[in-house]
Amino acid sequence: MAKAKTNTEDYLQMYRQMVRIRTFEDTANQLYLSAKMPGLTHMYSGEEAVAVGICEALRDSDHITSTHRGHGHCVAKGAEFKQMFCELLGKAEGYCRGKGGSMHIADQSHGNLGANAIVGGSMGIATGSALRAKLQGRDDVTVCFFGDGATAQGLMYEVMNMAALWKLPVIYACENNGYSEYTKTEEIAAGSITARAEAFGIEAHQVDGQDVLAVNALAAKLVARARKGEGPFFIELMTYRYHGHHVGDINREYYRSKAEEKDWRENRDPIIRFRAHLVAEGIASEEDLDALNAQIAADAAEAVAYAEAAAYPPAEEVDMHVFAA
Amino acid sequence: MLRNETSGFGAHEVTMPQLGMAQDAGKIVSWLKRPGEKVAKGDPLFEVETDKATMEVEAQASGYLTHVSAAQGEDVPVGQVIARISESADEDTPSPAPPSAPAKALPEGKQITMPQLGMAQDSGVLVTWLVELGAQIGPDDLLFEVETDKATMDVPAGVSGWLAATLAQAGEDVPVGQAVAVISAEKPENPVARAAALAPSKPERKPEPELKPEPKAKPSPAPAVAAAPAVAASGRILASPKLRRAAQLDGLDLARLVAAGQPQPYHMRDLTQLQQLSSAATAPAPAATALRMQAECAQDGFAEFADWATDTMGLTDSDALLAGLAGASLGRGATIAVARFGQRRLYAVPQTRRLSEVAKTDAAPDLLLRDLRATPLRHVAIGAEDVPVLTVTAHGAGLAVTLECSAAQMGAEDALALVSEFAGRLSDPRRHLL
Amino acid sequence: MREITLSQAVNEAIAEEMRRDPTVFLMGEDVAEAGTPFKVLAGLVEEFGTDRVIDTPISEPGFMGMAVGAAMTGARPIVDLMFGDFIFLIMDQLCNQAAKTHYMSGGKLTVPLVLRTNLGATRRSAAQHSQSLQALVAHIPGLKVAMPSSAYEAKGLMKTAIRDNNPVVIFEDKLMYQDKAPVPEEEYLIPFGVANVKREGRDITLIGTSSMVQVAEKAAEILAREGISAEVIDPRTIVPLDEKTLIESVKKTSRAIVIDEGHQSYGVTAEIASRLNEKAFYHLDAPVLRMGAMDVPVPFSPALEDLTVPTPEAVAEKARMLCAGEMIHAAE
Repeated sequence: MAKAKTNTEDYLQMYRQMVRIRTFEDTANQLYLSAKMPGLTHMYSGEEAVAVGICEALRDSDHITSTHRGHGHCVAKGAEFKQMFCELLGKAEGYCRGKGGSMHIADQSHGNLGANAIVGGSMGIATGSALRAKLQGRDDVTVCFFGDGATAQGLMYEVMNMAALWKLPVIYACENNGYSEYTKTEEIAAGSITARAEAFGIEAHQVDGQDVLAVNALAAKLVARARKGEGPFFIELMTYRYHGHHVGDINREYYRSKAEEKDWRENRDPIIRFRAHLVAEGIASEEDLDALNAQIAADAAEAVAYAEAAAYPPAEEVDMHVFAA
Repeated sequence: MLRNETSGFGAHEVTMPQLGMAQDAGKIVSWLKRPGEKVAKGDPLFEVETDKATMEVEAQASGYLTHVSAAQGEDVPVGQVIARISESADEDTPSPAPPSAPAKALPEGKQITMPQLGMAQDSGVLVTWLVELGAQIGPDDLLFEVETDKATMDVPAGVSGWLAATLAQAGEDVPVGQAVAVISAEKPENPVARAAALAPSKPERKPEPELKPEPKAKPSPAPAVAAAPAVAASGRILASPKLRRAAQLDGLDLARLVAAGQPQPYHMRDLTQLQQLSSAATAPAPAATALRMQAECAQDGFAEFADWATDTMGLTDSDALLAGLAGASLGRGATIAVARFGQRRLYAVPQTRRLSEVAKTDAAPDLLLRDLRATPLRHVAIGAEDVPVLTVTAHGAGLAVTLECSAAQMGAEDALALVSEFAGRLSDPRRHLL
Repeated sequence: MREITLSQAVNEAIAEEMRRDPTVFLMGEDVAEAGTPFKVLAGLVEEFGTDRVIDTPISEPGFMGMAVGAAMTGARPIVDLMFGDFIFLIMDQLCNQAAKTHYMSGGKLTVPLVLRTNLGATRRSAAQHSQSLQALVAHIPGLKVAMPSSAYEAKGLMKTAIRDNNPVVIFEDKLMYQDKAPVPEEEYLIPFGVANVKREGRDITLIGTSSMVQVAEKAAEILAREGISAEVIDPRTIVPLDEKTLIESVKKTSRAIVIDEGHQSYGVTAEIASRLNEKAFYHLDAPVLRMGAMDVPVPFSPALEDLTVPTPEAVAEKARMLCAGEMIHAAE
């Protein structure tokens, strides 16, 4: 396991954030299964090290764009459980006042430019945010999260071309979880993912997305360089989603085996691996971490109870926010 | 054009033709000749409609059209005799009388004339008789239905007695003031039925009654409405929303423009003329303060409901059911008169609205329910009567409900509620049970 | 008052706003040294440099999406879309991203950007460079749509659009770039949602958008010679739409024709006619007519292309029929 950081608090923060994501997703899944949640949702469980490793390398003033599988990015970029569960349940106190829901959830005050339900739809937004930073002489960096499926969208090639031409401070973070919805990535993507970026002269890296320290170390290095005008960069993060494409994607043996899922869960889980590392390095005890887990579980339970009791937006909000004042 | 097969002896019989395979009946859209009118071989005689086509049928003999036994709108089995072409118009006498008998003297009694229903109206079409020849009637009984270019209305007898003579046949256009019936004080021994075309009262009208000039040279397919110039097929007057609104606000009747022969559609530019026509009218215009509203039910749920009520609830009197639905639509206990073919039956509808508790009564009605479902009438505008009148007519596959009343009888809100409630109950009577 | 071309008016508006607000920048294909094929933006790059007048690759979805991201994070981009027909290329970025971001974020994010593009046939450019697609955009909640009818409107509406906190699409008629109109030297803005009564009349209201305002005005002149008094109204923005002025006019005249160069079916004309029908029905003395472009792809041949758009003569002819109370499209 890579050793990029030695600061105890940073390590515990990464562990805490990963467990918060996992706990949020497990709770959201229960809400869905118990029919308390309207609509559906896409679970980030299994990919926690990607969002946390990258976002822990960002400042609050940096921006991200997220995806339909966006709860993890949202938590990692600083969101609170209460407003997130409120949003998931369509309540007025949600981050988007209940108008976005799971697929558009974002705490905008921490630089999250929104979860986007169009696959690949946010690549222009992320690149435009980077263009703005460059034009205005700011040093903030924008990270564009997207999946391997989005590499099939033409927009990516248009904006990577411009980002490379104009040396924009944007990092394209491709979360390669092996599946484009219900199809193996190798069936939808010819050639190498990183070579796509390299064709534009963009420096591209591949990293183990289940190793939070490796992700964080790489991200920290690239973010710092992007801040200095050395961007853009491209990272392919090799990861895995434990659930189906969405919560209702239960019977998925036609595209992947249960043995494969079991292997990733038991042998490559980012939280289990990092926990073992923390204990082995003496950064935290099993008891400390159990207490932390219990605290997070209690936080989630409290937030869900709060969200369930919270009010829906009043009817007069339905045509509010169509236009800005 | 289709040639009509004729047969018979002396007089040619006019029969409903077979127009296509697997066709067993045809509907008479309109008669193109009046009873008693002279007909030349090859003249268009009537228009017939099947599920496949509509066509004119031409006369196969010359003579006079007599013995018309099928009315406009009627479905007639193929092959059935519907009229004759006779050697003289006088042959057109009803079957009880010997065909060769000369025109009988009219029974003594009060003569009922074709009423003047509006300005600039000089004749009315007798749509149908509402009383059987020879039947006893009271002054309020509706005697016949008349249609002018602006309205259709039922004419009450006005006196008591027996219908001793009918001097016009259904479908005939009769000049205003001409006698159409005789009501005798005594039960008549030999009631007389004649066509108006035979009326001797106005000899200058020989041999055909004078009609208003028709706008089109082409034989009118529908003599019954031919007097109305260029009225839309639906009978609606074509006018702009703005003119309609102005006319409504001023209590003006757009039909006056129709009656004056003004071509449609009407716009605001026609308002001045409409105002002049209206102020010239001598009669006060009760219509101005009257309410008339119509609702349409896409489906007729009542017939099936009546069957169901008979089978499951033992409620065999469908008039009582109809009265019950109407009474319930009023939202209070009420006496409902159900009128059909000139006959009235009075029902007390209890406050409970239970259909099983609707009972016959002799009390004065609160509401008249005129049931015209079985008639070809589609559009009524008769005006307010002593009590609010709900008229039910067939309308496509469904029904239409028209409410007419004076503003004094019922407020607009109550009227709207009544019509919509009743229409709702007719289209889905189960709603009543819920 | 001085007269300048519509092209100069747009150029002035953008230059003034870029001087006023450093967050405003321009991006699009050949907007810098080339100043666009219509030369509307000529000279701007000399004043503002290539950082604020940015030539992009031919990647409409790419630079449209980037404008959305820049707008969300504190810039006010003006996107130049060379032909209105290319709107189809950027639909996701315009309609799924720009239009919905403010709403989906519960009002937290805003997208203050201007998409300036064009419309108009009869330039012999055939079916993919001649469309008038404002109805497509106006259909999407969250987008404002301005349609200047002269140099005066082009400048005033552009300045308002740049200052608006929403995505605004401005359609300029590409045949009007060289048309001159009086434009004040001093600064002015034209508020959105305020129609302009170009000519007062009492017999019929002619509502036109963009260059169809001129068509309506010419039709009004023809009609005036025949004693028919036509009122001509330019809504100036179709989203928001100044319904009130239109309805008041129709209440006065009782008749209306709506003219827009988009295809007639399911178009801007239908929307406006429908609102008049709903809200002024009892004041109508004739059916409200739509006059749009024919429902055909715009043909190349001048002999055909000229048939597809409303002309002053055609508008006058319809107006004449309405005023005469003739039955139009009588029910069969």
